Amino acid sequence: MQLGLYIDQNRCMGCFACIVACKDWHDVPAGPASWIRLKIMEKGAYPDLLVAFLPTACWHCESPECVSVCPAEAIAKRDEDGIVTVDRDVCLGRDDCGACLEACPYDAPQFGAEENAKMQKCDLCVDRWAQAKKPVCVSSCPVQALDAGPMDELRAKYGDVREAEGFTCLAPLAPSVRFKPKENAASLDLRRIDVFPRSG
Amino acid sequence: MNAEQTASEDKIVTTVCNSHCGGICDFKVHVRDGKIIRIEAVPEEDGRPGMCLRGHAYRQRVYSPDRLLHPLKRTGPRGSGEFARISWDEALETVAGEMQRIKAAYGNASMLHFCSMCDPHVLHHVLAFHSLLCGFGGYTAPWGYISCEGNAFAEGVTFGKSSRIGYTPHKPDEYQEARLIVMWGWNPATTEMGSGVSLSLARAREKGARIVAVDPRYTDSAAAFASQWIPIRPGTDAAAMLAMAYVIIDENLQDRHFIDEHTHGFDKFKEYVLGREDGVAKTPRWAEPITGVQAETLADLAREYAREKPALLGSSFGPGRSAYGEQYHRMAAALETITGNLRLDRYAPKPKDFRFLPPFPFQPNPVEKEAPLRWNAIPSRGPSVNSSARVNVSSFANAILEGKAGGYPADYKFLWLSNTNYLNQLGNINKAVKAFKKLEFILVTEQFMTATAKFADIVLPVCTFLERCDLMPPLNVFSSKRRNFTVLSKAIEPLGESRSQLAICQALAVKLGISGYPDQSDEELVRQMVAMVSANEKLKTEGTPKKEPAASTKPQLRTPSGKIELSSGIAEKMNHPDIPAVPKYIETWESLNDPLAAAYPLQLISPHFKRRAHSQFDNLPWLRELQPQAVSINSRDAEARGITEEDMVRVFNDRGEVRIPARVTERIMPGVVALPQGAWYTPDENGIDHGGSANVLTRSITSPGGALPSHTALVQVERV
Repeated sequence: MQLGLYIDQNRCMGCFACIVACKDWHDVPAGPASWIRLKIMEKGAYPDLLVAFLPTACWHCESPECVSVCPAEAIAKRDEDGIVTVDRDVCLGRDDCGACLEACPYDAPQFGAEENAKMQKCDLCVDRWAQAKKPVCVSSCPVQALDAGPMDELRAKYGDVREAEGFTCLAPLAPSVRFKPKENAASLDLRRIDVFPRSG
Repeated sequence: MNAEQTASEDKIVTTVCNSHCGGICDFKVHVRDGKIIRIEAVPEEDGRPGMCLRGHAYRQRVYSPDRLLHPLKRTGPRGSGEFARISWDEALETVAGEMQRIKAAYGNASMLHFCSMCDPHVLHHVLAFHSLLCGFGGYTAPWGYISCEGNAFAEGVTFGKSSRIGYTPHKPDEYQEARLIVMWGWNPATTEMGSGVSLSLARAREKGARIVAVDPRYTDSAAAFASQWIPIRPGTDAAAMLAMAYVIIDENLQDRHFIDEHTHGFDKFKEYVLGREDGVAKTPRWAEPITGVQAETLADLAREYAREKPALLGSSFGPGRSAYGEQYHRMAAALETITGNLRLDRYAPKPKDFRFLPPFPFQPNPVEKEAPLRWNAIPSRGPSVNSSARVNVSSFANAILEGKAGGYPADYKFLWLSNTNYLNQLGNINKAVKAFKKLEFILVTEQFMTATAKFADIVLPVCTFLERCDLMPPLNVFSSKRRNFTVLSKAIEPLGESRSQLAICQALAVKLGISGYPDQSDEELVRQMVAMVSANEKLKTEGTPKKEPAASTKPQLRTPSGKIELSSGIAEKMNHPDIPAVPKYIETWESLNDPLAAAYPLQLISPHFKRRAHSQFDNLPWLRELQPQAVSINSRDAEARGITEEDMVRVFNDRGEVRIPARVTERIMPGVVALPQGAWYTPDENGIDHGGSANVLTRSITSPGGALPSHTALVQVERV
């Protein structure tokens, strides 16, 4: 079984609730590490504009690069739900290693500001599933733009769209995320991308 | 009180956040060993959480290293921020002594007290202070909703009552039925996070409603929900709406039946719109150069709004925070009325909200007793708010500086601000600084050393709402969950020596020798209130039952005619050119036609920011990293000034200067710059603000109907 996320990009309004809910739940201080980040893409020119938002976390790939490159075997993919977890006690640290950061095309591995920071990242709220709760980003979303569940259920409910504005599906990794992509986004030129938190 | 134990032995305490944002969200506070470890939302039945990024960050607010934990007395000059820790006893002795001295020397009217809407529950809010100060012989209170007095005035003269306590008057089902939704200056994605409005908009869009945003900015709401953006020049909304009314009347698209049945004065309104009153037909061509909106665009929107039924006009309070902002709200009401889109059940009698509970039953302010009504009083605001003894919030710096000689009701000597960062949040900070320096004594009760608190003589530390008990009254807001009273339980003990607002009032009542002031604990008083509510009203206050009272949908309009007044009898009686009987477009001061525009050619607006509720939450690290304070400027205006992204710029006019990074964007109309309101004023030795507080640049002045014109200011922007 593989757990994953669904994102309706037409609903996301960039409110940041998921980011702060995640930091409060997992006790992540302000600073460079943020398990979930918001990408804001501005397209077109005044007054013909389109702005798309995309929450971005760890996509718990079916074939995660980070797991295969980690020399310390600190990163593991759980058999029972496909969640990719990290054992911070085993991690060699960003300065001494940093292999996962290099390998992940989605910037999922996160590091605090401290020296040789150990890797941390979205664990899809492993602890909340155990309490029959969805990840805190999902339950905090005021417009229900996010959902989480077994991938086959998400596909059955929302379809099998694998790309969105600001997200490219790298098929060999098989990221566990499906989308309703932003409508009418194709016709306008991308002007800028911002990612918040700024330091993340 | 209603605490539950979880498997891991954490205590979960339920309470209600009301941080003056329109949300009013339930919190589940997880407490371990007397310390909050996380805060969780309480999802509604349909899964909608009622918590925003600020709510999720509240733990950082409680445990902020900047929390004020001890009483302080000023040791340096006012504004220097130099304070020394003192005991509660010394602080209370000083305050009580000054209050008695000033009362004896100048009278009660010389004492100003303002209380913000930060954490407005029942016990620890304005009534506690009001009751104390009335017991002391009275005080001068402000009038004027900072957010929405323009709307209160417009509804008062048009309908004789106000439908809005929350931000939107529309109910969830109205969004689902709507075929067209016009978000006029309205950005609920930012301003109404906990209320469920955004979810309603998302669902309406998915059901096929067309959503149009009329706004100087391409807001996050426009980005998420709208299929059309109509940029409009600030302060000209009433002109655009008049042009829409012209098209509707000229093309006979109005709802004749609704007008005949429910309105008074349509013919007079029509005379003005068609130009028979003043020789100027309010056509879309007339409005185009004023508003910056093409005539065809306005005409098309007018036709669509009149024909697509039902159509929902989401007229936000924002455009009303302008010079003559009342006229915009009056025009919005007129458009809703003449097209028959107005939901009359909005004005049906509402279930009473029971805010005047013991221990604070209603008490008249002795200072207001003999005072006549002010000239622009409207019956819907009630005798106390209408009293000429009050000072409009937007003019309070002027009132302190000018006093009786300037036509204000008294000379002001004493100022008590309760959880109120008014120096920061009202017009013209530099003028307010002069006013603060003129006062004999300033008391600030606060959680943080705000820009305002730095000017206090004594600062008393107030705990957060998670550190005390209270009751949340039922409120008629969009959010459906506040039909009953809700008990707020204390999650943790007050930090340091901080005390609740009520405890501070109780201690002062003892020092001032005021008899009869309640002296029980908040927990005991909540218990008494709950008992009283349960006995008298048979409402359950704990638990979940949500019973919809069988309300009448028959409107009850309190205008002289008993109808919707498109020509207002109340306004006509005021006999003032700036408060016309029919809604009109009146050009603002500091418009682009003002000679000042030669030096200051950009219109400044100061919209809400997601990471703050007004000036609250500005200091929290989790939030600061999400939205840098910056001035948004269109790429054309930036290019003309050699400004690129993140350049440090000076935003200035004759009133002051702010230094802040530029955000160069397509998402704002050329000629307009936006500096989000609420950033804490942080002046250097030359008085230049580096915090990015927009009110360094706004004017201390009141619109004729009482609106606070914070979006009416001309500025220039230059690279530093």
